[in-house]
Parts: sequence; structure tokens; C-alpha cells
Amino acid sequence: MNCLHNVVGQFWGQTRNGLVLGSIYAMIALGYTMVYGVLQLINFAHSEVFMVSTVVLLHVFSEWFGVTGPLGGAALPLVLLGGLAAAMLASGITAVTIERFAYRPLRKRGAPRLSFLISAIGASLTIQYLFSLMDGRHSLLFFTLPNLMGNTPRKVPTVMESQSLFSVFGARITNKNLLVVGVAILMLLLLDTFVQRTRLGRGIRAVAQDPETASMMGVNIDKVVVTTFFLGGLMAGAAGVLFVIQIGASAFWAIGFLPGIKAFAAAVLGGIGNIRGAMLGGLLLGMVEAHGAACAGSQWGTVFSFAVLVGVLMIRPSGILGERVRA
Amino acid sequence: MTGERGPVSLRKRVRDARATLKRQAGAALRVPFRPLGKGRDAARGWLEPRRRWAFPLLAVAAIAVAAVLPLLNTWFELPDWARRATSGAALARVGLFALFALGLNVVVGFAGLLDLGYVAFWAIGSYTAALVSGAAEYSTLVRTTEGVVPRPEWEMWMWVIILVALAVAVIAGILLGSPTLRLRGDYLAIVTLGFGEIIRVTANNLESITLGPRGIASIPHPAIEVGPINIQWGTLLDNKYYWLLLFFVVVWIVAITLLDRSRIGRAWVAIREDEVAAAAMGVPVVRMKLTAFAIGACTAGVGGVIYAQQINSISPGTFTIIQSILILTMVVIGGMGSIPGALLGSVLIVLVPEIFRGFQEYRFFYFGIALIVIMIFRPQGLLPSKRRKAELKGAVVEEQLYDAGTAGA
Repeated sequence: MNCLHNVVGQFWGQTRNGLVLGSIYAMIALGYTMVYGVLQLINFAHSEVFMVSTVVLLHVFSEWFGVTGPLGGAALPLVLLGGLAAAMLASGITAVTIERFAYRPLRKRGAPRLSFLISAIGASLTIQYLFSLMDGRHSLLFFTLPNLMGNTPRKVPTVMESQSLFSVFGARITNKNLLVVGVAILMLLLLDTFVQRTRLGRGIRAVAQDPETASMMGVNIDKVVVTTFFLGGLMAGAAGVLFVIQIGASAFWAIGFLPGIKAFAAAVLGGIGNIRGAMLGGLLLGMVEAHGAACAGSQWGTVFSFAVLVGVLMIRPSGILGERVRA
Repeated sequence: MTGERGPVSLRKRVRDARATLKRQAGAALRVPFRPLGKGRDAARGWLEPRRRWAFPLLAVAAIAVAAVLPLLNTWFELPDWARRATSGAALARVGLFALFALGLNVVVGFAGLLDLGYVAFWAIGSYTAALVSGAAEYSTLVRTTEGVVPRPEWEMWMWVIILVALAVAVIAGILLGSPTLRLRGDYLAIVTLGFGEIIRVTANNLESITLGPRGIASIPHPAIEVGPINIQWGTLLDNKYYWLLLFFVVVWIVAITLLDRSRIGRAWVAIREDEVAAAAMGVPVVRMKLTAFAIGACTAGVGGVIYAQQINSISPGTFTIIQSILILTMVVIGGMGSIPGALLGSVLIVLVPEIFRGFQEYRFFYFGIALIVIMIFRPQGLLPSKRRKAELKGAVVEEQLYDAGTAGA
């Protein structure tokens, strides 16, 4: 009864939290789902793509812009935009690098699917521990690693002060909430337009549908794969920036793990391989987590997410929007 | 004609047809179908004429070599890295993970069910041991009362605890397995991963039973006291834990080899290769999948009990997804569906970071690179099973055809 009371009492506030969290999950989930659509593989290293963005954001804010406290006026959008662009680019490059070294050699050799998973785990460990070594004191093959991250979390300077702007049904909406949801919607629209309208986007859809026929029709599969990874990386990069700004998280080499598996769950919930499914799944999962936390306490949020995932998959084994199961 | 035949003969015809299909399914797998031949089939591999005498000898020799490993330390002057690798604690860890790898190999390698939440069953085994032995109550008492709390006597319960944990793990395996029966491949992966998280978070939050994040302490060490036999296991570093685990590993190797060569093993291959075809041929898919889950689960359950008894105190922080992923890595690196592979995988993945402890901070970085390199050069694993190898050749040919198509485009 306590649960119901809390859920009803905090309904609009938790709905806001769920939407904010869900849009971040949705953006990460896109990377999983697009790669899955094209290559039928779980990109387990995608959480590291997300992590890289938080580290780069820390570096850009504190080193390039020299931010020490909250900014106002014209400087704020410039700094935000600069951080967003750099972090997205870094994540995109990370994703493409992972594809180049951990997946392409296996793809060319026709390796079984599970070996991609292990290779992805290898890539994930390599990137995580590479960043944990980056404290300016360790070296690798005669090069001293830059002082970027190191073994302990580092606080990303707060650039934006939280202000409540207005309220909807009693739930206060802050400028950060608006920023997160606004950027997420913009990114999702851009991505959807790219995949649906452009030539390369059509290539992605063609490869997802039938790689052999697509290649016979003149689609360059390698180019499509690289584009897919890059786009997924951009989205994860933007998600990382929003995540840090929204919850004031520190940059940390192990930060990608939890958002990573939740976004993966979101992608599966929506029907993996389906872009709009990933968006829907992300929002749904964010909502479930927020309301679940209201019901039984925030430490049970994850349990609710996975319970809903299992429940949905029992009724629809290929996710909400997933229609076909590929052999 | 058909009018004269009643529904009874129709039923008989269906039965005959099904029997024929079953026979053909057996033939399709290039393994003779023997309705009565469970034991005979299994025995044949072990007692092949050409190695009838060699195999038992080799097996005994291997077990003997494995058993003396922790003693090398005391007999010879070993370099530092070798001493670390042959210490009782490190070897016990190898034994524990070898047991887990054998169990997960049944689920992933034999039945082809991608399980990313295997650690759940380890946790269930460990927590069962902690709860059944009374350590949970004792820990609560110690934490809530002042002064010395007398320690109750539990030690003789070791085998009972293992049996209880086995039963609990089997039930858990069936319970967690049954919602996933309709799911395939990657959907199964995320659901099992979710179960792993659910179990861990539950153990973390359910203070009243699991004592929450602080965990349960003072779990009794195992002991055997039957008549003249009196074996007491000591602290974490006791070599006897390794020997106990080695015993279970050997038992499990024999049991799983027999299973793999039985009708159940062939059913798993059929399900792994094509579930729909297997079902059409009369393989009881649901039952076979649940069997795989249950066997995998009880293996982890036994390992979990011994782990809890050795380490003495358990907490939810141990049972993270990373452990499931490590165990899966052992199975895949060794070669899926291959028992020697699972053993080699666990030895490598536990001992290599142990040997390179000198490079403390760098070792996981290189470990990650090593995983990628191994998968590039030996995607089928280091010691692939013969059955799997034959399948992989087919896959490579397909891929070459596909590449030829791409090159032409």
C-alpha cells in the first residue's frame, strides 16, 4: 500500500525523472540497436564509448575552457556546445576504432558470433584500464600516457546551475531537464532523418535487411558499418554529456557499465535492431525505473527495470516493436 | 479404406511416424540412434579399442600431477611468479572457476543458450550455505549483542549443505530458466543478465535475510568426520580446498562427458543447431533446455557452497556481472562445448593475471588485448571440440562465398 501511495503521490515528479533518464538511455540504446541491426552483434564495448565522452567532457571543461564554477550569459551555450561537440566526436572515433580493431578482423574471418562477444569484452577491458592508467605517471611502449583520468573518479566542473523554470502538475522542471530532453529529441530526430532520408541511411537499412543482396546492389558494407558505429558513438557521446550535466556525475573509467547494460536492456525491450524501438524502449525503461524507485526505494529501481523487461519479453519474445527474428 | 480405420489406428500411425522422425533425427546428427544405448554409447568413447589402456592411465597421471601442484612450493625453490601460481589459494580459485566453466559450458557450449547471468547460481549456492549453516543467525547475534557469543557446532553438516544447495540451485535454474524458453540468442542474453542483477540487488537489499551489503560472516569451514576419517579444512590458504575442488572437478568432468555422449547430449546439439527442426523431430525442447539450465545451475551451486566455506564470509559485492562475463570468457577462449577447453580457459584466465601480478596496473589492459587477439586468430577457441570444429568449417565456407559476392559487387 505504501508503494501505491508513493507512486501516486510522486507521479508527476517521477514521470519527469523517468523522461530525463529515459532519453539518456534511449540515446545510448541507439548505438546498440543500430550495430545489432547491421551486424547482428551485441557491441558490449559500447558502454566504454559512453565513458570516453565523460572523460573528454571533463578535459574540455577544465583544461580548454578553464571552467571553475557555474557560467552565465553567452559563455554558457558556447562552452556547452564546445563540450558536446568534442565529446561526441571523441566517442564517435572510439566506436570506429573498436570496430576497426575488435570486430573487423573477426568479420573478415567469419568468426562465430560468440567470439565477437568475447572480443568486445576484451575491447571494453582494454579501454577501461587504458583510461585508469592515464594519470600522467604511467607509460605504455615508451610513451607517457596523458593525465586525463587515472584510477579515481574526477569531478566534472559544474557549468550550469540548476534553476527551476516552471512546474507541470506540481513537478518542477529545471533548465537541466529541458536541456537534456531538448538535446535528446534533437539528436533522435536528426538520426531518424539521416537513416530514413539520406543515401547512406538507406544503405544502413539495406544492410540491416539483407547484407548479401545489399552488397550486390552496390552498397559498400564496410562504409555502412563504419558509419553505423560512428553514428552510434555520436549518440553515446551526447548521452554521456547529458548524463554528467543532469546528475552531476564524475568522470570515471568504470562509469559506463550500468548505463550501458540498462541501455542494452532498453534496446532489447523495444526490439533490438529497430531504431524507433530503441527510443521507445529507453523512455519506457527510464519510466519504469523512476516509478519503481518511488514504489520500493531507489535501490530496487534496477530490479523493476529487469522485471519489466522479462515480463515484456515473455509476451513478445522479440521486443515491443521487433517483428521478425533473424536466423 | 480410410473409413475403416478408426481413430485408434490413426493414433498408432502418428506414433509410428514420430518414431521414424526420431530415428532420422539421430541419423541426421551422424550419431547412431540407440533407444537403449545411453550407457553403451557413452562407454564407447571412453573405451575405444585403441586407447582402452592409455586413457585411464593418462587420466590418473593428470589428476596426480594436478594434485601435487600446491606442494611444489615446499619441495623446490620456485621463482616468484611460479610460487604465486601454485599457491593453494590461487589453485583453489582455478578449481572453483574450472567448476563454474564446466557448468556454464553445458548451458552455452552444449545447449547453445547464451547465459550472461551465471553468477546468480553461484550467489544462490553461497547464500544457501550461509543460511543453512546458521552463519546468518550467528552473524546477526554477533553484530547485535555485546560480549562473546558462543559459536555453535556445525561442521559435520558440510555434505548436507552441499545437497541442500544443489537442490536449491536446481530449483532456481528451472525457475529462472522457464521464462526464457521462448527467447533466442541475444534476447536470452539480456534476460539472464537481468536475472543476475536481480539476484545481486536482492541480496544487497533484503537485509532481513541476507544481512544486506555487509554480508554474512563466520560461515563454517568444511569438515569430514566419519569413523576414523577426520579431515578438517582450515583457513582460506589451506591446500585442502584445492583438493576438495579438484575432486568435484573430476567428478563433474566424468558426469558431463557421459551426459554429452548420451541422448541428452545429442538433443542439446540438435537444439543448438536448429531449435525448430529439433522440435519437429521430436526432441523435447523445453525439457532439454531446462535440463541444461538445471545442470549448469547445480554446478555453480556446489562451487558456491565451497567458495562460501573457504572464504568464510560472503557479500553481494562478489557476485557482479563481471564474474559471469569472466566465466563466459573461459568457456569461449577454451572452445565452446569442449571440456578440456573449459579447463584450459579457467587455468589461463585465473592464473595469467596472477602470474603477472608484478604488472599489477597493466595486467587487465593486456588481458583485454589478449582476448581480442585470441579471438582474431582462434575464433573457435584454443581447444575446440571436434563436433564444433566440423560445424565451423561449414561457416567459413559460407563466409568465403559471401566475401566473393562482396568482392564482385
